[in-house]
Amino acid sequence: MNPETKQKINAKYERELQRGEFFWPDSIFKDVIVSLGIFLVLLLLATFVGVHDAPKADPSDTSYIPRPEWYFLFLFKFLALYGQIPVLGKIEWVATVVIPGLAIALLTLLPFIDKTPHRYYARRALPLAIMAILVLGIVLLTFLADVPTVAADGSSLLGTLQTLAGLVIPSLAYLAFIMFAYRARENAVRLISWTSLLAGVLMIGCTVATLALHQPAAAEAAEVPASLVDRIVAGQDLYSIHCVECHGEDGAVTTIEGVKGLEGKEIPPINGKDILYTLNDASLSEVIAYGRPDAGMNPFGKAYNPEGLTRSEIDYIVTFMRYSWDDRFEKPQIKPLFPPLAEGEVPSYAVHIQPIVKRYCISCHRPGKDSYNYFMDTYENILKSGDDSDSNVIAGDENSFLLQVIQGTPIPDTVNPGKDLIGVMPPKGHLKPDAIEAFRRWILMGMPETAEDAAGLTWPTPAATPKP
Amino acid sequence: MWNTLYNWLDERLGLNDLYTNLLDRPEPLGNWWNTLGSASLFLFLLQGATGIFLTVYYTPSPDHAYDSIQYIMNDVAFGWLIRGIHHWGASLMVLVVFIHMLRVFVTASYKYPRELTWLVGIGLLLMTLGMGFTGYLLPWHQMAYWATTVGTQIAGSLPFLGDFVLKTLRGGPDLSALTLQRFFAAHIWILPAALVALIGAHLYLIIKHGESHFPDPED
Ligand code: HEC
Ligand code: HEC
Ligand code: HEM
Repeated sequence: MNPETKQKINAKYERELQRGEFFWPDSIFKDVIVSLGIFLVLLLLATFVGVHDAPKADPSDTSYIPRPEWYFLFLFKFLALYGQIPVLGKIEWVATVVIPGLAIALLTLLPFIDKTPHRYYARRALPLAIMAILVLGIVLLTFLADVPTVAADGSSLLGTLQTLAGLVIPSLAYLAFIMFAYRARENAVRLISWTSLLAGVLMIGCTVATLALHQPAAAEAAEVPASLVDRIVAGQDLYSIHCVECHGEDGAVTTIEGVKGLEGKEIPPINGKDILYTLNDASLSEVIAYGRPDAGMNPFGKAYNPEGLTRSEIDYIVTFMRYSWDDRFEKPQIKPLFPPLAEGEVPSYAVHIQPIVKRYCISCHRPGKDSYNYFMDTYENILKSGDDSDSNVIAGDENSFLLQVIQGTPIPDTVNPGKDLIGVMPPKGHLKPDAIEAFRRWILMGMPETAEDAAGLTWPTPAATPKP
Repeated sequence: MWNTLYNWLDERLGLNDLYTNLLDRPEPLGNWWNTLGSASLFLFLLQGATGIFLTVYYTPSPDHAYDSIQYIMNDVAFGWLIRGIHHWGASLMVLVVFIHMLRVFVTASYKYPRELTWLVGIGLLLMTLGMGFTGYLLPWHQMAYWATTVGTQIAGSLPFLGDFVLKTLRGGPDLSALTLQRFFAAHIWILPAALVALIGAHLYLIIKHGESHFPDPED
């Protein structure tokens, strides 16, 4: 840049200062308002949106789909699209290193590449258009981040549209820009503006089409228990599913009963000081993750057992054990398993029955367990599965097998007289009266699934139907 | 009384000089787009302040990181607020710094005599992204763990140097306690120190050259 140009620039700046403002108070005033606004937005976000945490890191759980911070999503998407290009797509480092590196280098050296003294927008059509398409591409790729490049049915339409929006159209636009800039001297600005507008509209169009065509899979947002109470309850549910059959509901079992291969095995009670005082949280998690394979307890950690528990889940069990059985910890107030039934209230599956089943029945009644194929994991299965599916749950029938066995009446075997077809449930211990009452009302009133279904029903009060 | 105190301090600190040199500067007519730089600065200071609070309870080890964050969220008074601000502040800072860069680009403020301001700015942008990348791993949850696994893999795809870069970032072939320790060190010491230095240079250059004016057809 020659001295005259520099002088011109400086003189112009002096004139702008003459008719300008002062940093204090004019600029500062705006700065403070914006900063305060940002602070307010942050307060609102922190209070009303909060931070959504994922479960604890678990190096053995490789099924987890990685998801970076949102401002890196566009890079992930770019890599995925780039990988679709034939031949070139196989050379990964072109996309991971060369292209981003080139972009950063161009951006860094910008003042030394764009050396003209011109600052007015109309004289800088080329850089402005390049940047506009780049930023638009970044924004669109961020929106596309969750759309797979190959649809579930194998069609590649989605992938094609995305490649158009994210790679092909921008590249063609860039070629056109450069051509216009160096060939179409006087019309360059107009041509570049129109091309960038056209490219932008096409890119947005492809993105909108992709998003419209893509049916997002119902995201199963894994709720992470936040408070101590939630973690204890989560731990208790997991304990009920995985541990009760050997260690009993209160961890006090000393002789295993009714477990194939371990019948009569003597084990230490896991609710006492011997275990809880000698094992700290880390070793307790280790015992659960690694199991006691020699003694008959399978490993529960994902690292040793693909169907096993995650780190977080094991932590919840440990938390539950500590706060329930370790006398050095004070158990916080915990909500009852289900809200107590009011007079005349009819329970529903969602609010009452599901938590009871999860805590007391599902450990034996789930796929993979040999309990007459009676699976209690979903509403439909409770009504319709099992070797005796016709008799287990019958709307309005006090003689439903389920109601009989939870109330201490085994079902006799008609083929082998004197033997029981189905023993009492749960086989060890028994449900509390309020849980039995919930099951009775639920089945006798026709098994409402949701709270809304149940709200329309009333359980006749004892005065109306005297007990037989 | 106040006057005496002020004069005493002014003689020793040069308060009046500070006032004329820093605050009472003439500037071209600005508008709201000019607030983005100071908004970035505000966010950086806010991140620093909330981050310092977080380090009081945070433990950078795979066994305790997650639990210490849970502790901050559930048991420390206003811990959720501090973490919430730090979490959202990080996202907002990336956004604001990026838009600040765009505004500087659009008004061509990177041209003579502000080339170095732009160079330093690029450093600031990269450091800010680096803060986001290293901070994301610290809660040591599944999402962070696997995103960082992939992120470092990407850096490791560099030809020839890839393996070295990967091992330097991770402190070994896999993500481990060492990785967390490294990311923590980068997040609370190395990158912030670099950011402070670069911000200092950035601000010096801005005061030296003054805010650029919005271009008109003459420019
Ligand atoms: C198939 C039966 C079985 C299941 C299911 C089972 N365990 Fe065990 N567990 C055992 C046996 C057997 C032992 C005794 C090991 C020994 O004697 O060293 C044991 C021992 C333990 C110990 C004491 C370890 C020690 O060092 O003495 C703990 C703690 C424990 N189990 C926790 C659990 C938890 C928590 C679960 C649920 C996730 C669970 N177990 C599920 C069979 C089981
Ligand atoms: C410790 C394991 C265990 C638990 C816990 C358990 N069951 Fe069972 N259940 C069985 C087994 C085993 C059978 C097969 C019959 C038998 O052996 O008595 C069975 C059978 C049944 C049947 C008959 C299924 C059919 O189709 O014939 C019903 C109904 C039933 N259980 C209900 C329940 C309910 C309700 C609960 C929860 C309150 C429960 N069970 C908890 C082990 C269990
Ligand atoms: C932590 C990040 C950053 C901070 C704290 C910061 C701070 C500031 C401040 C306070 C100003 C003056 C007010 C304004 O014009 O907005 C400014 C101007 C400037 N910034 Fe930044 N900035 C950051 C990042 C960047 C980036 C990423 C770039 C570009 C690559 C950049 C380039 C510039 C330039 C060229 C100016 C001069 C603008 C002009 O004179 O009109 N800065 N910066």
